[in-house]
Amino acid sequence: MKIASLSPDQAPPIGVPLRFFAMAPVFLVLAALLLATGDGNPFANTHSPALLAATHCITLGFMAMVMLGAIQQVVPVIIGSQMPSPRLVAWLTMLPLTAGAILLTTGFALSKPELLNLSWPLLGLAFLIFISASLFSLARAAAKNPTRTAILLSILSLAGAVTLGMLMARGYATGLSIPYASLATAHISLALGGGVMLLIIGVSYQVVPMFQLTPNYPKWLTTYLAPAILVALLLSLIPVLFEPAPRWPELIAEIIFWILTSCYAVITLKLQSQRRRRVPDATLSFFRLGMLALIAAALFSLASLLPTAYSDHLRMLSVLTFLLGFAMSVIQGMLYKIIPFLVWFHLFRGGVNAIKVGIPNMKEIIPERWMWWHLKLHVGTLLAVLLATRLDMAAWLVTLGLLLQGILLGCAIFTGISVYRDTLGRIEQAST
Amino acid sequence: MKTITEFMAADHVACDNEFARAEEAALANNWSVAETAFIKFRDDMAHHFKMEEEVLFPTLKSAGGPAGPVHVMLMEHAQIKELLKQMAEAVAQKNAKSYGGLSETLLIVMQQHNHKEENILYGMADDILANEREALLERMQAV
Repeated sequence: MKIASLSPDQAPPIGVPLRFFAMAPVFLVLAALLLATGDGNPFANTHSPALLAATHCITLGFMAMVMLGAIQQVVPVIIGSQMPSPRLVAWLTMLPLTAGAILLTTGFALSKPELLNLSWPLLGLAFLIFISASLFSLARAAAKNPTRTAILLSILSLAGAVTLGMLMARGYATGLSIPYASLATAHISLALGGGVMLLIIGVSYQVVPMFQLTPNYPKWLTTYLAPAILVALLLSLIPVLFEPAPRWPELIAEIIFWILTSCYAVITLKLQSQRRRRVPDATLSFFRLGMLALIAAALFSLASLLPTAYSDHLRMLSVLTFLLGFAMSVIQGMLYKIIPFLVWFHLFRGGVNAIKVGIPNMKEIIPERWMWWHLKLHVGTLLAVLLATRLDMAAWLVTLGLLLQGILLGCAIFTGISVYRDTLGRIEQAST
Repeated sequence: MKTITEFMAADHVACDNEFARAEEAALANNWSVAETAFIKFRDDMAHHFKMEEEVLFPTLKSAGGPAGPVHVMLMEHAQIKELLKQMAEAVAQKNAKSYGGLSETLLIVMQQHNHKEENILYGMADDILANEREALLERMQAV
């Protein structure tokens, strides 16, 4: 039992998560620009520089940016253990992550090794500081709940993914002779299957029942799912790292991984269908879309294991559906809930004067219709993604979709921040 | 016999159900149902707060329970009461948009609050007040 987790000041200053959230949409726009300036259809070739650059723009600049900001908010509140020096950690992770992501992606796009060589130490620094601060905070937390376990495993996977990524970036830049294909497989698996998947699972345990009044996830699931997924993931990587090895253990481990993740998606959809709160909610729709995309990613990956000519194509579709369909849907849906709540929560701390001047409620912070437009735009982008590897026109639509989503999300976040600033100004005026 | 955690968590669920019913009716502009459901929800919340503020929290404090967490819970009660006041105004004005925004806000405040109580504070009360639990639950119900 943890008394400290009831401290009223456990939440970090609002600027900590918001500065990450405000930077993230810039990278969606940058990803679109990188795709637009690439040669031919960047989705047609998994090794095209534009695709590699745009993918890292989305994973590092958008997804990692939001997730780092969100973890710095969530760990103190849900786990009840503060991050050390929250403001300093936020700056020391956000600035090198931004600079490193820009250098890495432009380095890929322009095939400039010197940019890659500048990027990896910066990215390493950002993640080293973030991972050390998070592990320190998680280790101090006396509360041992399944969310803490899932976040811990997610951060450990992230550490592995970052280490391999740094090694490969340095390798590309200096012409090292290392097994790139195997390292890339392990890097992608640890980053997406470990880092992203386990974080979303851990946070779901808390927010799915909370936002829609659904039943809780079953106890067997919250206890065993995250560790089981990580074990399956690591087993699937053993043959990759220790060649030569027979292929069947890798296949079985990968099948188990996808069955477990689909199980999470199906149970989440089932819980949401049993929700007691039955009003339309953009976050819920984003979340459900994400779960459907996760099931689709699993089916694409499982189908790719069959010995057909479409294997590589299906694998590519699985990665794209996981990234843009599952992870991006859930992340965007969560942002539309978290930002209005943070703005309201921090303004309410203005006390009597805050109530006197009137604080906007959560639906007066980011216009709700923008969220629904964004959802439609996102669904359109996803449908185009399914055809982008084969149709140039669809690839252009994906690029356009990402650009518009970046602009719309950026406008939404800046609207939220300006509502916060304006209201805070009025509260301060009322108190003088 | 029920523990304090079980008894109070069941009351949270009952309040959540009233909350969902009122919100759904208000957003559908079905104000006769919304008003009845909201009043039931507000009264149930008031009763829940009374059980805590008049019986559980003072008993816990006088039995040597920590003052800090109780203080935080009381601060959150104040937040919730303010939101309920504004929601009552939205019901009086039959303003679905305003009600929807306030209920969205209340939901998160309330769920976070319930989560902390169910996972920390009530457990503490079950430990510290184990010997007088039966009498305590009777006194709470009598409020």
